[in-house]
Amino acid sequence: MTDHTAEHNKPILVIGGGVGGIKVAMDLSEAQKDVLLIDKAPAIGGLMTQLDRTFPTNNCDLCTISPRLSSGAREKHIGLMPLTQVTSLEGEAGDFTVKLVSAPRYIDLEKCTACGECHKKYPECVRFVPGLDHRAPTCMRYPQATPQAFSIDMAACLDVDGLIKCCPANAIIPDDKEKTETRKVSAIVLATGADLFDPGKLDHFGHGRYPNVVTGLEYERIMSASGPTLGELVRPSDRQQPKRVAWIQCAGSRGINREDVSYCSSVCCMYALKEAIVTKERFQNDIETTIFYMDMRTFGKDYEGYYERAKDQYGIRLVRCRPHSIIPEKDSDDLRISYATDHESGMITENFDMVVLSTGFRPSAQTTQLAETLGIELNPHRFAKTGSFQPVSTNRPGVYVCGVFESPKDIPETMVQASAAACMAAKHLPIKTNEMPAAEDIYPPERDVTGEAPRIGVFVCDCGENIGGAIDVASVVEEAGKYPHVVYAEMAGHGCGSEALARMQSVIKEKGLNRVVVGACSPRTHEALFQETIRKAGLNRYLVEIANIRDQNAWVHSNARELATAKAKQLIRMAAFSVAKSGPLRDHQLPMNKNVLVVGGGVAGMNAALELANQGFKVVLAERNGRLGGLASVVRRTLEGDDVRAYLNQLVDQVNHHEGIEVITNAIVVDHAGMPGKFTTGFQIGPRMYYRQIEHGATIMATGAMANRPGQYLLDQHKAVMTQLDLDDFIEETPAPIADWESVVMIQCVGSRTPENPNCSRICCQTAIKNALRLLDLNPQLQIFVLYRDMRTYGFSEDAYIEARRRGVIFVRYQHDAPPEVEAAGDKVAVRFIDSVLQRPVEVTCNRLVLSTGLVADEESTEDLAAIFHLNRTEDGYFLEDHVKLKPVDMSVPGFFVAGCAHSPRSIRESIAQAQATAARVQAMLAQDTINLGAVVARVDPEKCATCLACVRACPYHVPFINEDRYSEIDPAKCHGCGICAAECPAKAIQLACFEDEPIMAKLEGLLERIA
Amino acid sequence: MITAERKPLAEIIDSIDDCRRILLVGCNECVTVCSAGGRKEVAMLASALQMDFMKRGKTLDVREMTLERQCDPEYVEQLAPYIGQVDAVVSMACGCGVQEVAKRFRDKRVFPAVNTKFMGASEGPGIWAERCHGCGNCLLGLTGGICPIARCSKRLLNGPCGGSSHGKCEVSDEIDCVWQLIWDRLKELGQEDRYEEIIEAKDWSTERAGGPRKIVREDLAQ
Amino acid sequence: METFEPVIVAFCCHYCAYTAADMAGTMRLNYPTNVKIVRVPCSGKVDTIHMMKALEKGADGVLVAGCLDGDCHFKNGNTKATKRVAFVQKLLEEIGIEPQRLAMVTMSAGMGPRFAKIATEFTEEIRKLGPNPVGAAKQAQAAADKVA
Repeated sequence: MTDHTAEHNKPILVIGGGVGGIKVAMDLSEAQKDVLLIDKAPAIGGLMTQLDRTFPTNNCDLCTISPRLSSGAREKHIGLMPLTQVTSLEGEAGDFTVKLVSAPRYIDLEKCTACGECHKKYPECVRFVPGLDHRAPTCMRYPQATPQAFSIDMAACLDVDGLIKCCPANAIIPDDKEKTETRKVSAIVLATGADLFDPGKLDHFGHGRYPNVVTGLEYERIMSASGPTLGELVRPSDRQQPKRVAWIQCAGSRGINREDVSYCSSVCCMYALKEAIVTKERFQNDIETTIFYMDMRTFGKDYEGYYERAKDQYGIRLVRCRPHSIIPEKDSDDLRISYATDHESGMITENFDMVVLSTGFRPSAQTTQLAETLGIELNPHRFAKTGSFQPVSTNRPGVYVCGVFESPKDIPETMVQASAAACMAAKHLPIKTNEMPAAEDIYPPERDVTGEAPRIGVFVCDCGENIGGAIDVASVVEEAGKYPHVVYAEMAGHGCGSEALARMQSVIKEKGLNRVVVGACSPRTHEALFQETIRKAGLNRYLVEIANIRDQNAWVHSNARELATAKAKQLIRMAAFSVAKSGPLRDHQLPMNKNVLVVGGGVAGMNAALELANQGFKVVLAERNGRLGGLASVVRRTLEGDDVRAYLNQLVDQVNHHEGIEVITNAIVVDHAGMPGKFTTGFQIGPRMYYRQIEHGATIMATGAMANRPGQYLLDQHKAVMTQLDLDDFIEETPAPIADWESVVMIQCVGSRTPENPNCSRICCQTAIKNALRLLDLNPQLQIFVLYRDMRTYGFSEDAYIEARRRGVIFVRYQHDAPPEVEAAGDKVAVRFIDSVLQRPVEVTCNRLVLSTGLVADEESTEDLAAIFHLNRTEDGYFLEDHVKLKPVDMSVPGFFVAGCAHSPRSIRESIAQAQATAARVQAMLAQDTINLGAVVARVDPEKCATCLACVRACPYHVPFINEDRYSEIDPAKCHGCGICAAECPAKAIQLACFEDEPIMAKLEGLLERIA
Repeated sequence: MITAERKPLAEIIDSIDDCRRILLVGCNECVTVCSAGGRKEVAMLASALQMDFMKRGKTLDVREMTLERQCDPEYVEQLAPYIGQVDAVVSMACGCGVQEVAKRFRDKRVFPAVNTKFMGASEGPGIWAERCHGCGNCLLGLTGGICPIARCSKRLLNGPCGGSSHGKCEVSDEIDCVWQLIWDRLKELGQEDRYEEIIEAKDWSTERAGGPRKIVREDLAQ
Repeated sequence: METFEPVIVAFCCHYCAYTAADMAGTMRLNYPTNVKIVRVPCSGKVDTIHMMKALEKGADGVLVAGCLDGDCHFKNGNTKATKRVAFVQKLLEEIGIEPQRLAMVTMSAGMGPRFAKIATEFTEEIRKLGPNPVGAAKQAQAAADKVA
């Protein structure tokens, strides 16, 4: 792929092509901003491409992202330079000059077809990223690699002439040189990620010496269909399937010893659980899975449920202990681990066939070097330093950071920061006025297929193990070839990969197909991609039908291969019957309203409003209460000690004085109508409660959450009992008495991780430690007990946890089924709990009992808003994002975005990142001047219409009317596409495009017609 | 409009039980509007009949057709090409349509699939109520635009009977006493005195008592 | 005779039931393969004819799955669907076909477990009812035709 960005434009430079960098590039290009994406590797994709599956959905979603980079309009805005690094940076934000050095690939990207001949004949000189086994190099890194080309290690090549000759495309450039280029860029986003710790440095675990000790990533590679064992789970020493697999958490993390780092990598608990779950899914009781851990840190949105399922549904054994070492068993490849538990006094010794070390993130030396080149500050752990209220800004204006290089984090958080960085970087570009040419010119003319008999092509994905592991794809393809009108059927591998998509296009042309069926995942996520693909091949985009053989088949019937295969055949048969009856359709369009409504005036809402207003959008910020501030107005200090109130005051001030923002307070949403790009929302605005309608194109939900206040442990009954928020305020306002206190007890997880509120509130562990340290500042003699279930001080907040222990805070674990008991003792409170180390009850009479009560969703408010806006919520009442990993701030209703605690409990800093992310997503959406209404609209056949008014009465949106020509008319620009009228019409005069009766009936026939 | 309601399926099935092929004919006028015999109801009945036959190990071939208006011979003529292929015609039109079909195709059995009910109006989606009896001599000008013949259980012309209570008819409290409605309406119009006017005994010869009726427009008749 | 494996058609609305079915997949919840989903934008799009035709063509059970009461993405499509299902159930009764073969269910997009549970229970219920008499007769007929 070549760089399409025009010379005179100063693009945004994105360094690092992992998921974070890709997301930055995609958000910016969607917003029609130019991007230059560079990566030192031969192909983009980063770490995620090496993972087998990702939590919490347990699928590989990269296929959803990576192929799209090279698709459609994005090509116009993204320049991609693999094998490239920055060597110098000059200038300032808006006008940087960077020097880029590209290593030679020795392959002409324009010519390489990725046929693999070079790799077949000269494997030693084709570059690959080292996997588990050198005998299975994957120079393409993964099947959907972008750019889709190989890369040569010329130094390793002994027969250059032979190599040149073996390439059928004549793409080898033996004398390819390093290239240096100077470019002007407006801003820079660092998305360089981090390395994973190499546990070979720790001799007590024996990684590198004992073959069956592997890292988490190596275990992923072993399980991955594209890995060295092609997805067969075998241990390295003897290629036998292991029976007992153990995970050791925090390998090299949360430690103070040689080679350890003190911080927590935030993701290892979840990935170990995931690896164990996937193992159990595939092998059930054939493999025992044991995880040795210190604290189970499942603090993300709905992660607690994942943890519970791992324990209860999958029977994964969890042992709370950090084993010191792994000892090889004599005369066998087995591994011995000794550990202690709460319940037994002695050490327990147990053998395992394989041990997985859960290693965490380490900043790479290259990134540290890059930071120096760019002149950005690092924190003591050598991650990029950012501010408490500027989560993606480095110290150098115009240089932003996202993802793991900012701090250890998982994919959803990386994606949020990536969008946030896109938003911040875009500020350094001039606001564009002239727009790109119409989208149509990137497509070939559409072929008229009317009158042609259907010629259907069937493409069946295996999606790696995802589909291929549960059904016999080959037999499905064979069967599909026999269905009526099917003229061609093939296995498509990863059908959404760029190679497969390109192949689909050429097959369509070659075989003269006029209809396509794809046996794939859900049309909810992939329909648009396949529609675009067939459109590029000259077919109308509505001539494709997706049979959902993954989410609704392979994934739910992994235990019944034959039945699942039979079902896949039926689903594809239904799709083939149905697509045969489909016809070409046209999309309808409307002008886009570019105003934005932000619901909720807390930190998230205000930040989103400000960022958008700064980009020239008109924003209405609606707050239910009388004043702006939200939940943050009751928080005084961050963990890092920043003054929240001061920050909030200046933020409110900025918002109130920004000419692009209109703040309406005491505003309650009462009604809502319209479509993405053209919404109308009605408010009752106090104190007089007058009614006002606001027209807007996009909506950001930033309605926050509520501080929980469960009536437990004498809260609100005894004055010595308070919440962490109360204490925060107490410390700021009336610190004097603290000096006289003798002891304070804090209880964690009060009202969280319970059946009523099953999720972790994420912020309470840090909050407790923050307050404990502040108390000690005021009274160093104070004895503080923190009663906890798991300390979840993820990332760098682990440092504060270490400091608290160092300064004498006593942390005592309690079991969920044996919570502390609390009793009034005069002015004081007596707290009884069982010390898990001493195994005996302890009683402390304390001056204050502080409860970490966390957050709960504002159920009443989210319920009302969800009803009015038709939004989805999680079971505990938070707003549900469209896709937990790929679209963490988009909601499933197009045009809606979510930020802050309305999404899930999170810190101020994390809320700000989400707010900036929503601003980027909104900009991307509103960059279009027209709304594409799609083709799903109802149409009336005037010949059949009996003007009975059934549709007029049934339509929930009052769209149909009887026109002058005496038949019912439905304006496609107003039709919402529900099809209620079509089902109601007694004359069968109405059809809903895309869901006409004929294809639906054909589906039933495809399923039910007995094959003679 | 003329309203109708589908007959119990058992009755329809009974009438065509010896048939193997039928023509099921709907009408795109009144019966479509009252959801008794339009294209959709035709499809539903066809499906139900076929299922019933199949269940009993028999087959029934149903050809579905919906005419623009079954009470006009020109439209009925559209059935001609298919009539020879079927054992019987089942009509979902009102009685007029059924008879038109019977008149045109003299050697073919024709069965009604709906009970024609009344001339009525729509009281809301899915609800139709009787409004006109077709008495041939309209009195609505005297009764505030509300018909006592169609809407009084006893067709009384001069006020309610003793069975009117709280505005409801003694036949059923689902039925409004039409004379209450008339009185309310006259009051609204400020024409209470109309109520005092005696309506003379009605000449029922313009209704069915005078035998089957016919309208002839000389200027239009050919 | 081998155990009877019913064929079940589930008309699922795009916004809730279909999403819940995807969610069941994401959560790797098992349910019988008997259930085949037909995606519709709204349960209110499901015509009474579709319900009848599915049974006429031999489906042993038909589910219409929409959003939770009051949560319909299109305001009230699910309540319309509920009424239509009741209407068709009466019609089925008239021709002696068990009305339980047709059912209306509701769920939210997040309720993957509920989808799996309903799919499992409904399949069991239909299995107990035995084959759709229409489908069975159809099959017998087809067999007879073959012999002849």
